[in-house]
Amino acid sequence: MAENMKNENLALDIQNLTIHYEVDGDIVEAVNDVSLQLENGKTLGLVGETGAGKTSTALAILKMIPDPPGIIKSGSITVCGHDVMKASKKELHAIRGKDVSMIFQDPMTSLNPVLTVGEQIAESVQLHEKGMSKSAALDRAMEMLETVGIPRERAFDYPHQFSGGMKQRVVIAIALACNPKLLLADEPTTALDVTIQAQVLDLMRKLREEYKMSMVMITHDLGIVAEVCDEVAVMYAGRIVERGTLREVFKNTKHPYTEGLFNSLPNPRDRKAELIPIPGLMPDPANLPQGCAFAPRCPYATEACTKAQPQPRKFSDTHTVLCTAYDDAGFHIRRNHNG
Amino acid sequence: MADIILQVENLKKYFKTPKGMLHAVDDVSFTIERGKTLGVVGESGCGKSTTGRAILRLLEPTGGKVLFDGVDVAQLDTKGMRKMRRNMQIVFQDPFSSLNPRMTVSQLIAEPIIQNKILTNKEDIEKRVAELMETVGLADRLVNTFPHELDGGRRQRIGIARALAMNPKFIVCDEPVSALDVSIQAQILNLLKKLQRELGLTYIFITHDLSVVNHFSDDIAVMYLGQIIEKAPTEELFAHPLHPYTQALLSAIPIPDVDIKEERILLKGEISSPINPPDACRFAKRCIYACEECRKKAPELTEVSPGHFVACPYYDKLVQQD
Repeated sequence: MAENMKNENLALDIQNLTIHYEVDGDIVEAVNDVSLQLENGKTLGLVGETGAGKTSTALAILKMIPDPPGIIKSGSITVCGHDVMKASKKELHAIRGKDVSMIFQDPMTSLNPVLTVGEQIAESVQLHEKGMSKSAALDRAMEMLETVGIPRERAFDYPHQFSGGMKQRVVIAIALACNPKLLLADEPTTALDVTIQAQVLDLMRKLREEYKMSMVMITHDLGIVAEVCDEVAVMYAGRIVERGTLREVFKNTKHPYTEGLFNSLPNPRDRKAELIPIPGLMPDPANLPQGCAFAPRCPYATEACTKAQPQPRKFSDTHTVLCTAYDDAGFHIRRNHNG
Repeated sequence: MADIILQVENLKKYFKTPKGMLHAVDDVSFTIERGKTLGVVGESGCGKSTTGRAILRLLEPTGGKVLFDGVDVAQLDTKGMRKMRRNMQIVFQDPFSSLNPRMTVSQLIAEPIIQNKILTNKEDIEKRVAELMETVGLADRLVNTFPHELDGGRRQRIGIARALAMNPKFIVCDEPVSALDVSIQAQILNLLKKLQRELGLTYIFITHDLSVVNHFSDDIAVMYLGQIIEKAPTEELFAHPLHPYTQALLSAIPIPDVDIKEERILLKGEISSPINPPDACRFAKRCIYACEECRKKAPELTEVSPGHFVACPYYDKLVQQD
């Protein structure tokens, strides 16, 4: 009973998700045993570098992992009460767009070049509101354009007539047209200039409040995370290595990889401070090391780290870290030590 | 007297388009001291890359002077330019498309040495390639690998080694880390810094990433629609941005710190067309302070305090207009 109560509060509940891509006999372990919960109305920042498994995780939520070569090996995903893994095609159609929407990184390629933007927004409305007339759907589309700050007359323009920032607004309008409960945003501003990025982020923040949405923001930019997210999950080589509230991850960083990410960034308070890069490269996901995947690059790694997978360790109800080094009670990373 | 290595005067680069003249770079002037880094920032389409390329004459300038150690690069003939290029090199943004996929690492690094007949003896070339690989931090075992086998960071190291092959004095770094992940980005930035220290290089560092340029540059020039609208020493620019565009740009940087909450200046609209721009402040359309005068006459870049230039005559009396 208590379990059920808990689930109702969750917009997203991923349990033990493992995704492999099988290519030419190689097995790419893209996502490994990921569990992740997100409460209604919260925004989670999913952070990590290229190849960490962020996008695969998001695509799995919509059951859109390309198969072949992708295979969901195990795990369950519940979105707003729907079990995505067991959903039929028809149910999935209903869930996508209505319950969960996704914004992709590149607005230049995620719009159809031969349809006007109005038609593209109306299309998604009509798919979910059965029986809605074409003109009513177009009306709704124009309303959505205004919501994202585009004049309604522009509904009759084609994507190439819009700039990058405007196209991304159109993509947001499509994603929000059916009032989804959960929005997955995959690097939504990476292709945009900073002043345009600021506009789009501001818009997303406003709409999130207006629509009372939950959001998963996939990004590599810790600045954006600090600005829009309530919670953070840091991914490395297919695993969530650190998960906590924004403050916990930023101010009480525990995982050496998270620390490495912060050290690699120029310090806005001290521009002359030397950058401390993470040495080496992320391991090939087709050939992950036996123990902790970060151990080969980790300044604190001991022999124990290379032997077995680290087990989750809780620092608070919300703060969990995958790091063997904390088995030693006196262990702390440098970032914390300096405050 | 400052030791000026590069002096750019009224540099222009226009492109003919069916709709009219596109003013990609319009009357840009600046100087760089030897051994320093000038950061050039701005949004897509502001002309920062075109400026870098016009200086190296990878794009033929439409007008203006580029004085490198006193020699006007824009006036050199093909032969003279070929010689000059040994001094001036470029590192491109995308290490994925700027390397010939059919050449190995050693061939890629040897190519400029052979092309420019810097060395002719095969053994000397091999030795030099090995030396350059060590300089940029590429392991010798990678000598016979192809670019596609390498990650972005290593590919960018090849690009840097190729630029260094000629012993240049000056390098244009055109968004050298934009395509890289942060942990790798830091590796490349540190490498470029180290090379500058050891070889006394002068850089133009073109980027849209303001936190990177803050860390990396001595001076910063902010470009908007083909023009420099503000230029100042880095610390000064970040502490006292004067131009309304610079202020908005700096306030738009997302800061990875939960305790710094900056008041954000949100700009309306987007960059306007660079085709046949009118004689007016090019930022006026988006500027919350713009007045009648701004739309009538283009402002000039003026020195308002030592080393701090700004192209806004009203910088010290900005009043928000409705």
